[in-house]
Amino acid sequence: MIVVNYLAAGALFCIGLYAVLSRRNLIKIVMGLSLMESSTYLLLISLAYRDRSTAPVLVGPPGGRSPAGLAHGNVADPVLQNFCLTAIVIGVAVTAVFLSVAVRISQHYRTLDADRVRALRG
Amino acid sequence: MSAASGRAAEPRHRPWLAMILVVALGAGLAVALIGLPREHAALPAIARRALVVALPRWHITEPVNEVVYGTRGFDTFGETFLLLAAVVSVVLLTRRREHRAGGGGEEEAGRREERAIDPDCSVADRWEQLARLAERDEGTGTHLPRTPDAERLGQPGPERAQAMSVVVRTAARTAAPVLALAGVYLAAWGYSPGGGFPAGAVMLGVVILLYAGFGRARVEHLVRQSRVEVLELAGAAAIVAIALLGLVLRGSVSSNFLPLARDPQTILSGGVLQAFSGSELIEVSTGLIIAVFALLDMRHDWASDEEQER
Repeated sequence: MIVVNYLAAGALFCIGLYAVLSRRNLIKIVMGLSLMESSTYLLLISLAYRDRSTAPVLVGPPGGRSPAGLAHGNVADPVLQNFCLTAIVIGVAVTAVFLSVAVRISQHYRTLDADRVRALRG
Repeated sequence: MSAASGRAAEPRHRPWLAMILVVALGAGLAVALIGLPREHAALPAIARRALVVALPRWHITEPVNEVVYGTRGFDTFGETFLLLAAVVSVVLLTRRREHRAGGGGEEEAGRREERAIDPDCSVADRWEQLARLAERDEGTGTHLPRTPDAERLGQPGPERAQAMSVVVRTAARTAAPVLALAGVYLAAWGYSPGGGFPAGAVMLGVVILLYAGFGRARVEHLVRQSRVEVLELAGAAAIVAIALLGLVLRGSVSSNFLPLARDPQTILSGGVLQAFSGSELIEVSTGLIIAVFALLDMRHDWASDEEQER
């Protein structure tokens, strides 16, 4: 039933995208982008899951198996967990850039309303 | 106008159009997600390879670390420099106007221009005066005791934002060294998936805990940009050096050239992986500290207030 997680990640992504498209407050747009990022974490971790698997740690294997035997056994996908780790760091960095842009915009235009930031509109 | 009406009903930007687009995308996503491999699928070949080589080749029990710093080390290498690029852009966006000793500095020029366009600008209302005073205290702590610990307890008078109460300060003093040690442990022994990445986040947590407890002036020496930037670039240089030494000594980027400990779960067991992870700890923790404190340090920046002039 891991497909429920996939669909939840898709729904989370759509909620975030709706916030980005429909909101005018820049902070809420950044929050929408953060939601979209977290949906990718959920999807990556759910994709890594295998039925009745153990964590990809080769120590203290269950049921008297050796660590080397565990490597060939039923474990969660370590590559996708790696993707999730790197995605989190990228997400933090991107959010920091967006927030500093939002603060500068609010200082310059005295508003966080994206529709009132119209210096480029002729 | 919009600020006043914004409280009643927040302005939206064509919600119906956004709804149509999102529902269409959501339907497409659902079809794609249902077609993805599920929990009974076999592991991909690269995942199986990481699990098999982690113990014999690298003497580590963490296949995730093997993937992060070994099999997909080049990917991590690129991501590290993406983080560095993001930190550089945050620093550029948040920097203050340069303060120069002589005339003609950006700050002085900005002030002159401000006075020319808006002569009333120096007449600030009470709230602005209070905010400016608090901002000045936060930075230098001019008329406050040098440390919040020097303030006598149980004094009447308004609570200042400089630091939190003695209870919180004592708790932060107790927790910070433990957390810092845990952060270094996560990277040094490589038992945690990702090593340097979560460890760097823990180190940022330690600094933010101290900032919340003791105020900006007390963590100044920890987060001074000129110092932390040098550390971050040293971490980045170490990562480049590790990758290049692997290429020179062993013929491929970030392959192992260090002696491995015989037993797993010791500090030397991962060889180059541990060195990479430790450098990543420096790079990630300092990068995140720079980004967070650059955001916290953003000051009032004068700009013409066109809406009010009209």
